[in-house]
Amino acid sequence: MVGGLKRKHSDLEEEEEEKKWGWGPAGLRSYQQALLRISLDKVQHSLGPRAPSLRRHVLIHNTLQQLQAALHLTPAPTLTPEPLFLGEEDFSLSTTIGSILRELETSMDETEHPPNPVVPPGIQDDEALPQPDPVFLESLSSRYLGDTGLDDFFLDIDTSAVEREPVVTPPEPPHNLFCAPGSWEWNELDHIMEIILGS
Amino acid sequence: MKCFSRYLPYIFRPPNTILSSSCHTEADIISTVEFNHTGELLATGDKGGRVVIFQREQESKNQVHRRGEYNVYSTFQSHEPEFDYLKSLEIEEKINKIRWLPQQNAAYFLLSTNDKTVKLWKVSERDKRPEGYNLKDEEGRLRDPSTITTLRVPVLRPMDLMVEATPRRVFANAHTYHINSISVNSDYETYMSADDLRINLWNFEITNQSFNIVDIKPANMEELTEVITAAEFHPHHCNTFVYSSSKGTIRLCDMRTSALCDRHTKFFEEPEDPSNRSFFSEIISSISDVKFSHSGRYIMTRDYLTVKVWDLNMENRPIETYQVHDYLRSKLCSLYENDCIFDKFECVWNGSDSVIMTGSYNNFFRMFDRNTKRDVTLEASRENSKPRAILKPRKVCVGGKRRKDEISVDSLDFSKKILHTAWHPSENIIAVAATNNLYIFQDKVN
Repeated sequence: MVGGLKRKHSDLEEEEEEKKWGWGPAGLRSYQQALLRISLDKVQHSLGPRAPSLRRHVLIHNTLQQLQAALHLTPAPTLTPEPLFLGEEDFSLSTTIGSILRELETSMDETEHPPNPVVPPGIQDDEALPQPDPVFLESLSSRYLGDTGLDDFFLDIDTSAVEREPVVTPPEPPHNLFCAPGSWEWNELDHIMEIILGS
Repeated sequence: MKCFSRYLPYIFRPPNTILSSSCHTEADIISTVEFNHTGELLATGDKGGRVVIFQREQESKNQVHRRGEYNVYSTFQSHEPEFDYLKSLEIEEKINKIRWLPQQNAAYFLLSTNDKTVKLWKVSERDKRPEGYNLKDEEGRLRDPSTITTLRVPVLRPMDLMVEATPRRVFANAHTYHINSISVNSDYETYMSADDLRINLWNFEITNQSFNIVDIKPANMEELTEVITAAEFHPHHCNTFVYSSSKGTIRLCDMRTSALCDRHTKFFEEPEDPSNRSFFSEIISSISDVKFSHSGRYIMTRDYLTVKVWDLNMENRPIETYQVHDYLRSKLCSLYENDCIFDKFECVWNGSDSVIMTGSYNNFFRMFDRNTKRDVTLEASRENSKPRAILKPRKVCVGGKRRKDEISVDSLDFSKKILHTAWHPSENIIAVAATNNLYIFQDKVN
């Protein structure tokens, strides 16, 4: 929680919040980018053994879209990115948001045929549970980390405050959000179901 | 307002919990509280899937001071954790909602639900036992028929009171998404269950099918921008219900118009105040609870910062708006970061619809008198609530010089949230769930 500052009238508090990020468009942009980072963190870390809250996901998604629109409108400060670059970033962001909801749909809906089935690499058949990274994280990482120019987008953010440890895999055995028929996990589950139904 | 200042605290906790709030188990966190229609019983559900029912003691002339205390009546495990093998996801056993059916015989019936399955429970008393069977000996073994020469009728003998809870119906496999609400219809034959995208109508007698009456799932999930957050039947009109959304809207539907109530009869939405617009406007407008007044004339909604009362006859704005904790408006970014902004607070009416109550942080809860427009902040905590003591109003200091009894916004404990409260249907008795503790307060008897 924000602490230590003496609280004044709410208008001033709003200004103080802005002061933290600096006056003017540069400060506003930093604020928006920080919110973007927080939102993306939330989406990444909402994976777990339980189905994520659809309400929370939708609200974060809508906030992300607003941020995207605002960042698009706000002029960039010193390092002006190429217009093309912004377009690329837009495309990646909206594709990622789309893939987030797609993954959610396949994890929560009746249909079991996701658009991009991924078989995790190199897992032994006799392992009890699959241990791959969720596809969801993979799609995020492939689109964000290392993609052309995207790192530049975050260059003007001071990330020392939000620097985190590397993403920790969930303590529970991580589960795939889906599995495609015919994949080794499908056969594994088939086997488990046989045992359960047989007992 | 006299009832605000004259509450006595009675503190009850579910069994097997450790008293200190800093070391309770996660399973003991209370997730729902509900009085039955007479107020004689109070049910709580927790994260561990248990239901605990309290019963009010009969008033006795000998013990005036113990008037109407609530004691544990029955405890049972309603839901167990499950695993969905096809989706590799755990299904939580947490009880999201409990709703009582009106009493029609000696037994009590309630509905309890987790994210996926609704169950109908029968709670009944047994205080007699049949004895003197002819055909069995005292240990229950069958006698040799050739040794039986007389006919003896078993006799009912008193025994220690036993309260049994048995599951009478299980309504499963009808919800893809998480159930957030259940509501018993005034016809007492049907009820509805609502999840994030759909609402289903059930008949109590039929468990293998339900009717889908609302479906807001888009054909393309990428177009999803709104979910259902709460739903409730009208208290008297069995054809009418309302549901609220994450965008701050309420839809009233009439089941007589069509089988699928995708088109609302009424649409309640307040225009946004442009001066308050921020990136968090939509999140804080998301309605976390909707409740009809007992009269059926009004609906009350709770969003993150306010409680609103709407007249069913006026759709374009609420008739009353109450600020629950407006001092949080300047802290929304932090509350977004720590996820508190997604907390779902409930709200309740008192029996006469003159007072409304809702929870806040730091174990505070708020009451608003609709007639006098006065409001009060009270705290549910063991330190401040000795038996027979009167609850002292609390105040949050938002700026300037902090008075002695005030608490500053920065000192609020956001892990102590009061999400669930209940008000006795006819008396000034309230139940407040603070994490794993249940507080029952009642108006002082002169």
